[in-house]
Amino acid sequence: MSKISLEAKVGVFVVVGIVILGYMSMKVGKFNFGKARGYEVKVYFDSVSGLVKDAPVEIAGVEIGKVSKIFLENGKALVALMINPGIKITKDIKATMRTRGILGDKYVELIPGSPYAPLIKSGERIIHTEPTTDMDTLMNVIGDVAKNINNLTSSLANVFAGEKGEASLRSTMESMQEMAETLNRTVQKNNEDITKTIANFSDFSEILKEMGDANSDDIRNIVANASRASEKLEDLIAGIKDIAAKINNGEGSIGKLINEDEAVDNLTGALASLDKIADKINRGEGTLGKLVNDDETVENLNSSLAGINDYIQKQETFKTYLDYRGEYLFDSEDIKSYLTLRIQPREDKYYLLQIVDDPQGKESITDTTRTITGQSTTLERKVETDKDALKFSAQIAKRYYNLGLRGGLFESTGGFGLDYYFLNDSLTLSLEAFDFDSDRNAHLKFKADYTPFKHIYISSGFDDFISDEGKESFFIGAGIKFLDEDIKTLLSNIPIPKD
Amino acid sequence: MIRFFEFAGRPFIAIVEECGRIMLLLFSAIVWMFRPPFRFRVILKQMEFVGVNSLTVVLITGAFTGMVFALQSYHGFRMFGGESLVGATVALGMTRELGPVFTALMVTGRAGSAMAAELGTMRVTEQIDALSTMSVNPIQFLIVPRIIAGIVMLPVLTIISDFIGIVGGYFVGVKLLKINSGIFMSRITELVEFEDIYNGLAKAVCFGLIFTLIGCYKGFYTSGGAEGVGRATTESVVFSSVTILISDYFLTSVMF
Repeated sequence: MSKISLEAKVGVFVVVGIVILGYMSMKVGKFNFGKARGYEVKVYFDSVSGLVKDAPVEIAGVEIGKVSKIFLENGKALVALMINPGIKITKDIKATMRTRGILGDKYVELIPGSPYAPLIKSGERIIHTEPTTDMDTLMNVIGDVAKNINNLTSSLANVFAGEKGEASLRSTMESMQEMAETLNRTVQKNNEDITKTIANFSDFSEILKEMGDANSDDIRNIVANASRASEKLEDLIAGIKDIAAKINNGEGSIGKLINEDEAVDNLTGALASLDKIADKINRGEGTLGKLVNDDETVENLNSSLAGINDYIQKQETFKTYLDYRGEYLFDSEDIKSYLTLRIQPREDKYYLLQIVDDPQGKESITDTTRTITGQSTTLERKVETDKDALKFSAQIAKRYYNLGLRGGLFESTGGFGLDYYFLNDSLTLSLEAFDFDSDRNAHLKFKADYTPFKHIYISSGFDDFISDEGKESFFIGAGIKFLDEDIKTLLSNIPIPKD
Repeated sequence: MIRFFEFAGRPFIAIVEECGRIMLLLFSAIVWMFRPPFRFRVILKQMEFVGVNSLTVVLITGAFTGMVFALQSYHGFRMFGGESLVGATVALGMTRELGPVFTALMVTGRAGSAMAAELGTMRVTEQIDALSTMSVNPIQFLIVPRIIAGIVMLPVLTIISDFIGIVGGYFVGVKLLKINSGIFMSRITELVEFEDIYNGLAKAVCFGLIFTLIGCYKGFYTSGGAEGVGRATTESVVFSSVTILISDYFLTSVMF
């Protein structure tokens, strides 16, 4: 095994560390990247005791967002919910607070209403809330119940306690005892008669049973039929009576129809024109007819509505940044300038166009091969440096959590870059590698950008640090960056490819 | 009477003076850090020494810390049926405290002592003076690469230690104590925030600065021959470890 170089050892070690960090931060990745994604809706609660920021928001137990802010407004708790993009909730949705687990973590549960209700928009308020049934209110209810029971027992105690109550209770008992004794005596006296009567009853019921068993089906049918017939008859008679009365008075359409000639004429006319219209529609004449009969029209309408929706949404997320930065290179004591246009159709990807003014200029290398007398070839290399030439960069970038990947043209040569975003995107560490050439080391650039204010950032780093041409230089720089609405409108009028 | 106050004042002044010297050394190291020539080769060599060569010891401490932590917290959580929290406890403990601190202590014992001994020997054999005569600034040549290596490599070691500690906790919790693996992992992802990992690494950067600075300081200002080198080595390890533990408390109270 060949000996591993010092650089490779340290390099592998650092890469392993970064990979583990990336893996772990992906795993726990619940953090927001700069601007929170999704949209915010608000809801008032009477009490949010125990609810904390970042508590989950759920529909049917599925987490669809989190609590982004809790504050007091007009003596009520106003809770802002950050709903994940792609989750659509309707205006008639109901919000309530629930408790989970033995530790009593609070979360917000949304109960969907009708699926056809209009969708809620960012910044709007959920109107319906359900009172929370937390432990406190439950305890209050139990307390009320206990109080009622207490009242009941105390009134019972009032009735029975005391000498008066005791006396009346005792006399009640005594009379009951007397009654039982009398009953006993009567039964004993008429014992024989009673026995006979019972025996008779028994005989009678036996005969009845035999009879019933034989004709049981018939009897049942007769009874059922009679019952149904009588019910119907009753309804019928009532209905007839009603109708007759109305017609007589000229009430209702039929009444009018019978009693007034004009009404009959009108009705006939109306029916005739209705018939004509329906006929036309059926034949596909007129706009309405086309709309009803022609499937294509309807489909066109549908797709154009969908298209408009799509376009408006794209334009809303579409952002364009203009960025100028200057870097002071310590070694060449010169300033390198960058003018960047960053087109960001979505939060997680952007396209970058850049013009670079490099004090070291643009090198153009020309290799000339001459063939002299058949065999020997000489190679002539001409390196020209054009100090005034501008370099161009064009890159595509995609972001995964807080790691960004870039690729494309870097200062007029191919390359790629890595960005790592910290502290809500205000600190960015970047490593770029480009200008790969077999004759010399690639151009590596490390930089850290810090954005303390909204539009202004400072930067520092090391340019071309493995250069073997002595071009390595430490630099500091600053830049100004802003969102450009004008260019955005300009660009969004150009057709955007669907993705 | 005066003698008594002198007796009390002398050690205090000595401590203040020592702190001052360390700070001055730090400032000059920072100044020299940004002046050419940049000796990448020397920095890489120190990175290999501090980082790559400490990997084994960090892996072993990390894994066993995570394992024993899982075992102990399991016995505690079982009392109220909260075994599912073992994973999150191990992960939070490793990323926030145990990973950075144990890694820093192990690396101090391994690399910090070696720095003090190496620089101390160079001092008593007058090699440092020889460097100055050759107009090579000894701070830039000897101390700056070591401090950079400490600051860069300790976070890397810490993240490896965090990871291997959680893996160790997973092994004990899921394989030996039969906690459900799905619950174990989901609790970790649910309760551990990116901030926990990030702040642990920020601590590691501070510890990296502390142990290299103290190791270099003790070695750089060694006097008194072979005996002095031994004393400097011992002092550097004790002083660094104590400072790391004390500063850990204050860093934690500021961060979390």
